[in-house]
Amino acid sequence: MTFFTDAAAFLPVLLNGLQVSAILTLLSLLFGLPLAGVLAFGIMSKNRVARLIAIAIVEVGRGAPALVLLQLMYFGLPDVGITLSALASATVALTWTTAAYCAEYLRGGLSAVPAGEIEGSQALGMTTADTLRYIIIPQGWRIALPSLMGFAVILFQATSLAYTVTVQEMMSQAYSLGASTFKYLTVFVLAGLLYAVISIPATWLSVLLEKRMARHL
Amino acid sequence: MIENPQDRLPGRREVVRVRNLAKSFGENTVLSDVNLTVLEGTVTAMIGPSGAGKSTVLRCMNLLERPDSGTIEIDGHVIDAERRFSNRELFALRRSAGMVFQHFNLFPHMTVLRNVSLPQQRVLGRSKGEADERAMALLTRMGLADKGEQYPNRCSGGQQQRIAIARALALDPKVMLFDEPTSALDPEVGLEVLEVMKELAASGMTMIVVTHEMSFARSVSEDLIVMADGGIIEQGDPKRIMAEPSHPRTQEFLRAVLQR
Repeated sequence: MTFFTDAAAFLPVLLNGLQVSAILTLLSLLFGLPLAGVLAFGIMSKNRVARLIAIAIVEVGRGAPALVLLQLMYFGLPDVGITLSALASATVALTWTTAAYCAEYLRGGLSAVPAGEIEGSQALGMTTADTLRYIIIPQGWRIALPSLMGFAVILFQATSLAYTVTVQEMMSQAYSLGASTFKYLTVFVLAGLLYAVISIPATWLSVLLEKRMARHL
Repeated sequence: MIENPQDRLPGRREVVRVRNLAKSFGENTVLSDVNLTVLEGTVTAMIGPSGAGKSTVLRCMNLLERPDSGTIEIDGHVIDAERRFSNRELFALRRSAGMVFQHFNLFPHMTVLRNVSLPQQRVLGRSKGEADERAMALLTRMGLADKGEQYPNRCSGGQQQRIAIARALALDPKVMLFDEPTSALDPEVGLEVLEVMKELAASGMTMIVVTHEMSFARSVSEDLIVMADGGIIEQGDPKRIMAEPSHPRTQEFLRAVLQR
């Protein structure tokens, strides 16, 4: 059973890569989600300038493939004097993608809160800030949560693109293992399984959470 | 015929004054030159065909709808629609009026108790303990003492509407505005809401009720306003208007609703 003996030899290297993939995912979410919140309010803002800036950032982030943004940050920015490390440039690129997609999910969630509830809150004399804080945001983000979790899984898989900018994540580890041993089949099957082992339960978790949070609604 | 309620019910303070109210949505004129006065401790019913502008008058009264022109005065808080007004003035006006909607508009992500106590904390600055205590007292008065920890969507429509009434009352409004409070309910369930409203009227609350419940309008209200085509066509003693309406449009409307 050469597959298992090879797999056992590859696994520690791949797990090192997996750790980098996980860190890249978490960093992109850590910076991307708060930014998404700001962009969501920017898109809905009555201020024209704020709205146009937010729409521009979101549309570029969603319109350009993550691979293009990665290349731009790593190979493009040095031309204008900004040099980032591989991990930093990948984080910036994937943060942009995350912020752009999640801003739209959040905006959709926030605007799905029924107008009647907002009127109810206004009629009680609650301020706009209180209506946002107690009525719109708590419900809006719950509505957006399943989409956000689904995106997190896709983002985790998309970190594999960072191998093109020399980040030592799982895909790049698999690639160099393959190049040195020529056991590409074994190494990519194993890498695919490792991505799946994280992604599939994460998807289950998002479905479970969605059910739990919809209990009162 | 439009009577001034002061002539029939003298010596009462005018809590609500609406003057020259006008509102249009684009080309469509919804209200033109609406004037009305509501006396303290009285129940005013507003009836009329759909599209007459009854709900719009009510929604303009707490600025859920911004009128094009006219002034609104509730308990001394005046807003002139054509002038700029501060948020402080807006919230002061809204605080003096409690509103009950056709579709309840409760907050589904909060327990029943929280629905009633949160606005007290945020709007009146009451402590949580104080707000919860007041909320429980009102829920008990509404016959919902055991519903505090439930979520609104687990409650029947009639219960939800009584929760909404408790939520509005908890802020100690001077006037309660009811926008077709029983229209979304089964007739039987609507009855329990009407009972609560009668009890509220008997306790001396000033109420303006947009409704299609003719027997409530006749037996509970002291003043009746009939609206059609964006204006008030008749106002006065409910029993008199129901028995002998003076405006042909009122006659037509009452024939349609009373003889079905």
